[in-house]
Amino acid sequence: MRPRISAISALMLPVLSGCKGAQSAFDPAGVESERVLQLFWIMLAGGTAIWAVVIGLSFYASRGKTGPYSDRSGVRLIIWGGCVFPTVVLAGLLYWGLEIMPELRRPGDGPTIAVSGERFWWRVAYAVEGEPGVVRDLPRGGIPSANEIWIPVDKRTEILLSSPDVIHSFWVPSIAGKMDAIPGRVNRLVLEPTETGVFNGACAEYCGTAHALMGFRVVVVPEDEFEAYLEAQAQPAAVTDSPGLELFLQNGCAACHTVRGTPADGDVGPDLTHVASRLSIAAGILPTTVENLAAFIASPDHLKPGVEMPAFGVLPEDQIARIAAWLGTLE
Amino acid sequence: MQVFGKTQDNLWTLIAAPTIWGFHFLFSYFLAAYRCAPNADIFKDIGGTRVAIAGVTIVCLLLILLILRRAWREWRAEGGGYQNAKDTPEARERFLEFSTLLLALLSLAAVLFETMPIFVFWDCR
Amino acid sequence: MTGHMGDAADQRDQEDEEVRRGQEERLREVWAAPKGWRYWSAVNNTEVGVWYTALSFAFMLFAGVLALIMRAQLAVPENDLVSPSFYDQAFTLHGTAMMFLFAVPIFEAVAIILLPQLLGARDLPFPRLSAFGFWCFLIGGVFVMGSIFFGAAPSSGWFMYPPLTTDETYTPGYGPDIWLLGLSFIEVASLAAAVELIVGTLKCRPPGMRLNLMPLYAWYVLVVAGMILFAFPPLIAGDILFELERMFDWPFFDPSRGGDPILWQHLFWIFGHPEVYIVFLPAIALVAMIVPTFAQRPILGYSWIVLAAVGTGFISFGLWVHHMYTTGLPSISLGFFSAASEAVAIPTGVQIFVFIATLLTGRVIYSVPMLFVSGALANFVIGGLTGVMVALVPFDWQAHDTYFIVAHLHYVLIGGMLFPVAAGVYYYWPLVAGRKLSDRLGRIAFWLMFIGFNVAFLPMHFSGLAGMPRRVWTYPESLGVGTANLISSVGAFIFAAGILVIVWDVLRPRGNEPYAKRNPWNAGTLEWLVEMPGENWGVRSIPVVTSRYPIWEQPHFIEDVDKGRFYLPDAEEMKRETIITSVLDGTPLQCLRVPGPSFMPMVAAIFTGAVFIFTTFHWWAATVVAMVLAAISIMVWLWRGTALIPEKPEKDVGLGLKLPLYKSGPHSVGWWAMFITMMGDATAFLGLIFGYYYFFTIHADFPPPATVGPGVLWPSVAFGLFAVAWATALGSRLSNQAGRVGLARALMAAGAVVALAASAALLWGPYVTGLRPTAHVYPATVWVITIWTAAHGVAGSLMLGYCLARSLAGRMTPEHDIDISNVALYWHFVGFTVIVAVATLAYVPVLT
Repeated sequence: MRPRISAISALMLPVLSGCKGAQSAFDPAGVESERVLQLFWIMLAGGTAIWAVVIGLSFYASRGKTGPYSDRSGVRLIIWGGCVFPTVVLAGLLYWGLEIMPELRRPGDGPTIAVSGERFWWRVAYAVEGEPGVVRDLPRGGIPSANEIWIPVDKRTEILLSSPDVIHSFWVPSIAGKMDAIPGRVNRLVLEPTETGVFNGACAEYCGTAHALMGFRVVVVPEDEFEAYLEAQAQPAAVTDSPGLELFLQNGCAACHTVRGTPADGDVGPDLTHVASRLSIAAGILPTTVENLAAFIASPDHLKPGVEMPAFGVLPEDQIARIAAWLGTLE
Repeated sequence: MQVFGKTQDNLWTLIAAPTIWGFHFLFSYFLAAYRCAPNADIFKDIGGTRVAIAGVTIVCLLLILLILRRAWREWRAEGGGYQNAKDTPEARERFLEFSTLLLALLSLAAVLFETMPIFVFWDCR
Repeated sequence: MTGHMGDAADQRDQEDEEVRRGQEERLREVWAAPKGWRYWSAVNNTEVGVWYTALSFAFMLFAGVLALIMRAQLAVPENDLVSPSFYDQAFTLHGTAMMFLFAVPIFEAVAIILLPQLLGARDLPFPRLSAFGFWCFLIGGVFVMGSIFFGAAPSSGWFMYPPLTTDETYTPGYGPDIWLLGLSFIEVASLAAAVELIVGTLKCRPPGMRLNLMPLYAWYVLVVAGMILFAFPPLIAGDILFELERMFDWPFFDPSRGGDPILWQHLFWIFGHPEVYIVFLPAIALVAMIVPTFAQRPILGYSWIVLAAVGTGFISFGLWVHHMYTTGLPSISLGFFSAASEAVAIPTGVQIFVFIATLLTGRVIYSVPMLFVSGALANFVIGGLTGVMVALVPFDWQAHDTYFIVAHLHYVLIGGMLFPVAAGVYYYWPLVAGRKLSDRLGRIAFWLMFIGFNVAFLPMHFSGLAGMPRRVWTYPESLGVGTANLISSVGAFIFAAGILVIVWDVLRPRGNEPYAKRNPWNAGTLEWLVEMPGENWGVRSIPVVTSRYPIWEQPHFIEDVDKGRFYLPDAEEMKRETIITSVLDGTPLQCLRVPGPSFMPMVAAIFTGAVFIFTTFHWWAATVVAMVLAAISIMVWLWRGTALIPEKPEKDVGLGLKLPLYKSGPHSVGWWAMFITMMGDATAFLGLIFGYYYFFTIHADFPPPATVGPGVLWPSVAFGLFAVAWATALGSRLSNQAGRVGLARALMAAGAVVALAASAALLWGPYVTGLRPTAHVYPATVWVITIWTAAHGVAGSLMLGYCLARSLAGRMTPEHDIDISNVALYWHFVGFTVIVAVATLAYVPVLT
């Protein structure tokens, strides 16, 4: 657990200053996003040139020319400009686009992580074994976490995606394109980051009212740090004796949340065993602080309209503060 | 409809070539979907499927070429040209032949495009 | 076809002004729109087309207001101007209305106005069907859009992906039901319009208008109507599955019972992608009419446009999975769709170059419609190029479901559809209202729209790739797309201001402003025969056409038409008439009596609408009552208004030509309408069959082992009975034709009974083996195919009974046998349906 503290604190800085983390296809830090961005720039340049020529030509044809051209030259324009040129260019482009795909989807050489899109958060399980498929569920077990996925740099990590409720779509634009999480299907996405850092992800398929606020973080670290992280996440909770825990159990939080090492074993909401070690709460929308935890417990639907978690604002403020304080110790 | 010699074109002969494209497209899609749908064993070679699609592609290309050849011959036989705006059955015939020719060319290109995936993808990944 | 003046002038003394005045009075009276409250019983294209257009524009403005609310909400990050739930309803209705209530209906509406004019026809062959379509559109549209005022609007996006939409837990209330049933109803109207337009284009062309002389607009209409015919039915099949799941818990999309949410996506996008071209091609068709007029020359590359239209029509059906690149389908499957998506750009490019070549070889007059055409080109080419980009799978993995796609689709739809439609409004306004719109306001509107549009949508390409997914009601400041969104919002309001200028230009009081001169743009095509202001009869006489641009190329053309020197210059019998011609060469075949004003289409639409609306709210008793009333009203409409036996076998239509007044079989428009309708019907059925084989493909075992199917016995019995029913339908047609009326009647009666027995036997199969449709997707699929087929048997029985009644009432005779020949045709399709259904349900499971 010790060696990763330095890495975490180094990473926390940008995160805490307003949840900033790259969530842009223009800031590539993965093999797929780099290749696709390159493809985009080339298509953009080609497209701009084609647009300029076509529009210039039409402007010339309608306003610029001094007299009508012959039908013969018109037909020639249709044949070369309208048929031959596009056919050749499109054939080349198509081949290029196709040829990239098998490479991006080749087998992984890193960990396999199961990610389940659920209204409106991401259930994560490390160290699972399973395959993609139809009429199939995600593999069970593994080391649970939520809304934050650690992956080793320069490795091909296989993400297995599904959902128990509605269709979601898993998207970390800085690392790779998106893949849907569909009930009854297990889809596969390979993430191959080329840089360490924290990257933001989002749900890209409309899944209900809180769809806009269903984010997550991808933390890319060197492989040894990844191993250490896994080991730490596999441990039970750090503090299992606290007035906060008592209140947590008394007020029914355990019906939905698991905190390993305590009687709390609910399976509806995120596993909170190491909630304080995560960069954000409420699916990527708030930095993890005791204040934010308290605020979210008191009125989750205010901070995240449409959220499934009920509000606990009826509890006395000090009780909420104690629960939040305890959760804040669960690194 | 005869294949060689003089034939009369109509709306059905006009859409013959793109219909062949449609058949080729659906065949390729359904066969690959059937082969890959269980989504298991995604890295297993699907050579048989690809060969089958290649075979159908060749048949489809030949059929389109036949249509192309017929349309081309009859259109050329009357001197070709793009002027088919006259009020005669011949002009209507030239128009249909020329349009059939163009559609056959488009279908040819589309079938070739449609065949590219089988040269790139070896499995169901 | 030439030398038209001589004979006719001798016989009718067409040159006598008195004679002509008499003819005009009769024509005017026959074609006049009804007065007072009866006005709403009008069915003529000049009325219905205008109502239809106005209503689609009204829905467009409403959906536009929703868009502005969304843009206001997104103008700054973390805004809370509207609630997330209102925002969700707004984007759902915006998309739904723009696609289903504006883009497709406006095509039908404009085609209903323009097509008869372009073809020199007095009206389309089934004016009451157009009216029925309009009333369906009105009822369904108001039902769907009105729901937002009750906070009950659908809120899951215009493509309604299950399980979000099928599961009551996630979408309580009536939202998805309103969407499904309201729009299914409108889809029926679209199919009606498609039938009307296909038959209109193929059979109602003026004498002499061969295929090679058809106006390009008509080619596009033909292609697009054909596309509607094959694109909408799969969605109707999808709607049926969807609603069965939502209302009765049949698990088509529920993976826990063998269903698969992806099936909906297939069925939706098999409709949804052709839809884009269904929207785009008719708008381009307007450009194809406008460009030659302002280039002052015939289109250069007529065949190329036909190639492009037909080619696009085909290839657009091979694109649907490019909306599903991120659903985890195998790469090789995605590859096929990527290939088709790139290939479709070829015909699109051809069209653009045909327009450029026409301009290049012409002497261009630059006017407001041309301005909009240029704007359309500039914007659409951007949309086309980004389309080529997102057709590439790896790029789409990034761009899919982001604002990049929002930008792309708006460039395609606004550039490829709204700008051409605006050009069309400026170009065709004189044809509708007899006056030109303001040049000055047109220019102001154009620049506001053009600049506003680009300011609004260009930055969205950036927002999307910078990480902004679509359908988000807000976004964090840290995403860094705040500025881009603010710019977009400002642009949206500038764009809206441009639209308002057009609205003002259209609606502003004209006072005593003079009417435009005839053919104000000096165009060459038939629609400009219209007088300013127009007459309800359309054309004074139905001309003989010998060129593509008759007004330019046929001497004294307008004068000859006006002086009634062509066909049907009179309405001697005080009936509405038009000419039916042959498909290839436009040879006159029949003088068709088209029906006049009637409230029956409206009544039928109201009852049909009631069926859908009552179903939405689960008012089952009311639904059944409405269903019976709808069936009765349709029967009454058909009984009184179709297959009427004329008072004489043929009439002189002018120029020494006598044409029959009654034709049946493949020569009648009714037969064609039945044929085309049943093509659509068969397509919907194949959509259901696709569902069956889809489940067969994704499941290792389908039917699941240990599940009993409908068995082989009862489906086989049903098959035999259906064969008998089919034979009686065919036999009654043949014996009636042969004059053996008694035998024919006996066969009709027997057929009606056997068809009912056949349907019952088919339903008995799964019933007796105890298939519970809620248990698993297999029994659900078996039931839905069985019910569909049996329902067709029942409808076929009703039709045979109807023919029997017609025969007994003397409305059908051996010579006048439209009814039975159409019903026999219907039964051929039932035969096909039964063969496929029984083979799939009873025999395929035995073989595999």
